[in-house]
Amino acid sequence: MSAILFDRIDEPGLNDIATYERRGGYEALRKALAQPREGLLEELKASGLRGRGGAGFPLGMKASFIPGADIDKYLVCNADESEPGTFKDRELMQKNPHMLIEGMIIAAFTVGANRSFIYIRGEYVLQADVLEQAIAQAKAAGFLGENILDSGFSLDLVLHRGAGAYICGEETGLLDSLEGKRGNPRLKPPFPANQGLFQGPTLINNVETLATIPAIIRMGGSEYAKLGIENSAGTKLVSVSGNVQRPGNYEIELGMSSRDIIFGLAGGPDEGREVKFWFPGGSSSPVLTAADLDITYDFDAMAKAGTMLGSGAIIVVDDSNSVVDVALTLASFYKHESCGKCTPCREGTNWTVKMLQRVQSGEATPMDLDIIASVQEQIIGNCLCVLGDAMAMPVGSLVAKFRPEFESHIEAARERNGLGLTPPPASEEPVLSL
Amino acid sequence: MTDVTRFTHGSRIPGWDDSVDPNKAPAGIPDLATTPVPAELREEIQAEMAKYPVFRSALIPALHAAQRVHGWCSPEAIEQVAAVMGITPGEVAAVATFYDMFETKPVGTQTIYVCTNISCSLRGGPKILEAMRAAADGDADFNIRAFECLGACDMAPMASVNGEFVGPLAESDCAQIVADLKGGGEVLAAKQLRVRPCADEAGRVDGGQTTTSEVTQ
Amino acid sequence: MPRPEHNEITLTIDGRDVTAIDGQILVDAARGGDIEIPVFCYEPKIGGPVGACRMCLVEIEGIPKLQTACSTPVKDGMVVHTQTDRVKGAQQSVVEFLLVNHPLDCPVCDKGGECPLQDISYGYGGGKSRFIEPKRHFVKPLGLSPLIAIDRERCILCYRCVRFSQEVSEDHQLVLLERGASTFVATFDGHPYVAPFSGNIIELCPVGALTSRAYRFRARPWDIEGSGSVCNLCPAQCNVTFTVRDDRVLRVLSRDHDGVDDGWLCDKGRFAYQATHSDERITAPLVRDGDQLRPATWERAIQVASGIARHPGAAAAIVGGETTNEEGLLLGRYMRDTLASHDIDSRQGGALSAGVLRELARTDLQATVPDLEFAHTVLLLDADPVDDAPVLDLRIRKAARRNDTQVLVASGRPTALDARAAVAVRHAPGSAASLVLALDSALSGDHGAATNHATDAGSDLESINALADALKTGGEDVVIVWGERVTDGAGGEAAAKALVNISTTLGLGTREGSGLLELPRGTNGRGLREVGAIPTAGPGLSNPVTVGRSTDQIAAAAAAGEVTALWFLHADPTRDGRNTEIWTRAMASAGLVIAHASTLSPELAEHATVVFPAEAGAERDGTITHPDGRIQRLRKAIGSPVDVRPAAAIIARIAEVGSGVDLGPATGPAATEAVSAAVSFYAGLTVDEIGGRGLRWQDRDAATNLPAGDLNGESDAPVPAASPNGALRLGTYRSIWASPEVELSPALKFLSRRPTVELSPVDAERIGVIQGQNVDIGTGTDALRATAHLRSDVPAGSVFVESGLAAPGNLPSEGQLIEVSKA
Ligand SMILES: Cc1cc2nc3c(=O)[nH]c(=O)nc-3n(C[C@H](O)[C@H](O)[C@H](O)COP(=O)(O)O)c2cc1C
Ligand code: SF4
Ligand code: SF4
Ligand code: FES
Ligand code: FES
Repeated sequence: MSAILFDRIDEPGLNDIATYERRGGYEALRKALAQPREGLLEELKASGLRGRGGAGFPLGMKASFIPGADIDKYLVCNADESEPGTFKDRELMQKNPHMLIEGMIIAAFTVGANRSFIYIRGEYVLQADVLEQAIAQAKAAGFLGENILDSGFSLDLVLHRGAGAYICGEETGLLDSLEGKRGNPRLKPPFPANQGLFQGPTLINNVETLATIPAIIRMGGSEYAKLGIENSAGTKLVSVSGNVQRPGNYEIELGMSSRDIIFGLAGGPDEGREVKFWFPGGSSSPVLTAADLDITYDFDAMAKAGTMLGSGAIIVVDDSNSVVDVALTLASFYKHESCGKCTPCREGTNWTVKMLQRVQSGEATPMDLDIIASVQEQIIGNCLCVLGDAMAMPVGSLVAKFRPEFESHIEAARERNGLGLTPPPASEEPVLSL
Repeated sequence: MTDVTRFTHGSRIPGWDDSVDPNKAPAGIPDLATTPVPAELREEIQAEMAKYPVFRSALIPALHAAQRVHGWCSPEAIEQVAAVMGITPGEVAAVATFYDMFETKPVGTQTIYVCTNISCSLRGGPKILEAMRAAADGDADFNIRAFECLGACDMAPMASVNGEFVGPLAESDCAQIVADLKGGGEVLAAKQLRVRPCADEAGRVDGGQTTTSEVTQ
Repeated sequence: MPRPEHNEITLTIDGRDVTAIDGQILVDAARGGDIEIPVFCYEPKIGGPVGACRMCLVEIEGIPKLQTACSTPVKDGMVVHTQTDRVKGAQQSVVEFLLVNHPLDCPVCDKGGECPLQDISYGYGGGKSRFIEPKRHFVKPLGLSPLIAIDRERCILCYRCVRFSQEVSEDHQLVLLERGASTFVATFDGHPYVAPFSGNIIELCPVGALTSRAYRFRARPWDIEGSGSVCNLCPAQCNVTFTVRDDRVLRVLSRDHDGVDDGWLCDKGRFAYQATHSDERITAPLVRDGDQLRPATWERAIQVASGIARHPGAAAAIVGGETTNEEGLLLGRYMRDTLASHDIDSRQGGALSAGVLRELARTDLQATVPDLEFAHTVLLLDADPVDDAPVLDLRIRKAARRNDTQVLVASGRPTALDARAAVAVRHAPGSAASLVLALDSALSGDHGAATNHATDAGSDLESINALADALKTGGEDVVIVWGERVTDGAGGEAAAKALVNISTTLGLGTREGSGLLELPRGTNGRGLREVGAIPTAGPGLSNPVTVGRSTDQIAAAAAAGEVTALWFLHADPTRDGRNTEIWTRAMASAGLVIAHASTLSPELAEHATVVFPAEAGAERDGTITHPDGRIQRLRKAIGSPVDVRPAAAIIARIAEVGSGVDLGPATGPAATEAVSAAVSFYAGLTVDEIGGRGLRWQDRDAATNLPAGDLNGESDAPVPAASPNGALRLGTYRSIWASPEVELSPALKFLSRRPTVELSPVDAERIGVIQGQNVDIGTGTDALRATAHLRSDVPAGSVFVESGLAAPGNLPSEGQLIEVSKA
């Protein structure tokens, strides 16, 4: 299989521009700068590349939404990578930062943006340091700054470190955060392509999406499109974690069988353990079970299975774990990360956590499971951004698919607590009632 | 993974029960003439402001800088940021309290984030948190926080020690980490993310050993 | 800038055809068609929609997801459903979610009965709650400021209050802290939310989370009635509704008027009603008895005041800004026609000739309040709206924020709008006239003259040119907002002419949305001038038979014994601190001093012969004229205390008893008709026509009766700015809070001003004072002790001293040099 993003990525010193150029780096940029913008846009469209950040929106189409007018336009790279289970952008940025930078310069040239930003999550200290050096090298080499390679095109690139908030991965939350505000998502429309950063047209893409651009230019869009399958072109970095023997990032061609990824590449659960369920696209995707392992790993197959490819992060949970614990961990994460702007998400995540805590401690009844399920339904589709849905869909799927286990857990916990005849023991760390 | 009350770090409720102090003056934009700011901090913030088309974008970088100088985003630190940027301290506080990495209470200088999110908790993250707390043994210089997914689930359970990612951690590593920090040396050098090879065959280089380190300019 | 166009379209909502304006927000379009879509966070007054509460979800055909009606502009042919099961399900969900953490304490909640959350829960909620977890509980209520209490349990995080602080008042003090379910409304580090417009958030809050500490638990909605009137505390003349219970004012709410206040009030207007019921208010006539003022009967007070008839030709009147048109006209008539005195003034800084005043009043040169919002450029000339007419500050901010209006500032003291200004030019305090002359010369290309005037103004040609260029290139619609103080002093007349000239050069008269807008010092400054309460013009800005003395001249004449009787109608000239010493001598030597007041300054207490209690704002009837010519009605909301009578009735009675003349109708609609009979360009105006919203006289046919102006009279040149030589140039400013009503209102008392002096850090260092230390302004026994307040934006060489205080000290005129030293 052809590795595009991960090809010999461990090569020592690849983060240095000299090594990157020796391996043919920045050639795609030279090629692109010699082409008309429309041609580049056509290549991107022809590649069939769909966004790698979660929503899977075709890159070429998004880029074509950016108005051609001669106004201040922006390119933003979404390097917030905070979706639980996702760590692919991290490895790319750390080991091959120039591939991202090159992709960004081409993307900016294509849409006519003269200012660009990488919004990297603040926790990625090493990766940010690497990028900062790489940007300085690219500047020194004349790939960034005024009149790049005598093309007349200028681009400024600023690395912006976030400070710890999942919601800043959501594109409009990211834009607000990049403007120095609280990272609350904005109403859409207007979409970033029309009114994004500083109210200007803004192309915003994931690290992996942008890092793939040099390959597309090098190979030609239609050649790239031959990788993968229809509607899911190209290769994809998959982060596999949880109960597998060889957790890590793997570059696959879309359309590969999920079993081959989980078992073939990542080694499957430990000896003697079974896959109980797995998140196919980060913690926000509805879970699949062992029965779904033969589904192919691509956008359409996942949608058909009622879930999504998301960020391409597979989290495997084996049968040693309690579904209640996972549900509570999940819900607590979203409760903590809800920005608090809109009612269903803020109150719904908060309420769900409280109910799941009762389920866990045995103070619930099966009726509470109905309420949990219905609260998830009340969240879905009613929020400002999809963070609310991102909790409601997987939690809803867990309750739907593992209801008997929830019920027996409640039963067992109630029994431990003496069927509620004696008050349950006070939990040691008081749970703040909020 | 059941025995930890999750996300205590997410429940910074203090503030909800507080009245204002009517004897304080309203918090408008602090005047640099009457708000002393260390020269280096001021220059760093101004340099950040110059990077962006709209200076306000520099607020998060400015808070990072102020936190480095003051140890936490103290009211004083916030006022200094506000004075240099010409905005109100309220706006600065609104941002500082939104993000997890900004400390709004005084904390120790050694910052350890222990991941307790899904992939790590499937592999014992909460136990690591406990072990880390035990290893630090109440030393006020250690700021140990449960944290959401740090984007390194491949090395679960993991932690970020003063920004350095380490994992997969065994409970016994925690004492070592604390000792390393106290000794001022490298933290768990062999388990750092910067030396972790790519899991994908295609990424490997024969005989090559990955190490992400400084490059020569 | 062109106002938005309105194209009508038709859409279908719940099967009904609704006509709306293209692009109108769906919630508003639906309301126009009598269909209610519930909202919490939507409030177009604040700004664009935020989509936070999710209460307004509706189904729109062709869009799979439910949409927020508060953010959806309507289009022709749109088909909307607000009653389907899906929509109802979403509405019930949102209500249920909102109530998850909302305490059900309506019985003890101040908002109960007028609470949108109550109404919407009742109308759109599911009627039951499945939430059995313990609700969150916090200490409550807590102080957010001395005026506002916050109950954080009740907050539904609709963002209205914080958006107001960021996007309307732009004070940026009230913010959200933390995130997610822990998010809460607060200020930085426990500082109180004290800002000129903070009280508006009480009205904006859709639940009982923000309540007025002054109103809390004083009444329930069914105990009260609302009474519409106009706030008479400043020239902005905001429209208000007094909440009245048992003939007492308990609250003031905004009575949204796009042409005046845009639906906002300042905190003075909102809370100063308390002065009405203050124990310290004077509520009975006082007559001097030796060195004391003692309560007296009405007969006796009138008797004493009637003594004015024995000072023909030697009586003078100072008319305060809150005086109504009717009162001003009546007093002017009595003074001129009966007492043969022409010494009546309602301005402080010297008189302008009638010809120039008429020129300034030209209808084509008059900008309106809404013009501010749509102008390409707003130029502030020595005016700071936040202090001079607070609510206009918000209007200019709105223009700058929403319409990209260019704001230009030329002032002595830095203004609150400087941060919004494209160009901000400083002139020496008191030298606005020179600056206007310089600008006029620069605009007409006379650089030599511009240089000289700029130097006289303590500025330079470069700054003036920057201003002139911005004016010329910023777009056609220009509104020049100028403070009355521009025309103070020797160069006032010249400055006024230059203003007219600038308007001609810029073509302001030829464009609908352009013009001049003066901010007079007094509430009814404009009306009083138009009814003739000035020495240089009779009613209708007619040429006077004889030109009388202006305020300063009256003081000097009285001190010299030439004027022997003084009448202070709602005025106390010692309060602003200018020439206090002369006024004190003037009062001491006058044989008769009549005052109408609610409180007494030490000087009045010492020298007044008779004091009539003044009516409070909510007790008054009559008309006042807005700076843009809108004639508005003050309407009596409550009865006065038994011994408080309308000033007009008192004037009429004094004329009757003292001089045996009948001045005609003093109060009621007939008095207003007397005004319209006297002022040619108000002709035919009746109270009915004015109605509840007022109307601009320029919009009536009678406007053509305004006699032609005259710019050919003589005028003096302004005095050049002094150059600081160790001593500093004196500037003064009157804060929004410097008023007796603030001192009398328990709720506002904390805002009462103490003497403060604003210094540049450079001068402070030279003098050796730091922030908060005391300094002496002036020397010897006259020195005023004030607290130093260092401001980087105060130009070196100038100091600004707060005026309008209860104990203002004695200050020389604006622009003079004064010693400032460490106390
Ligand atoms: C709650 C939330 C979190 C997200 N986090 C990320 C993220 O960390 N990284 C990312 O690239 N996209 C993230 N996204 C998706 C972005 O909104 C956006 O779709 C993406 O950056 C677009 O880039 P792409 O088209 O290249 O995928 C997130 C979306 C949501 C709703
Ligand atoms: S769905 Fe959640 S994260 Fe998204 S805007 Fe609403 S509250 Fe914020
Ligand atoms: S305090 Fe009131 S206005 Fe402010 S966010 Fe809460 S509910 Fe809305
Ligand atoms: S879950 Fe711990 S790093 Fe991702
Ligand atoms: S009113 Fe539409 S979301 Fe609040």
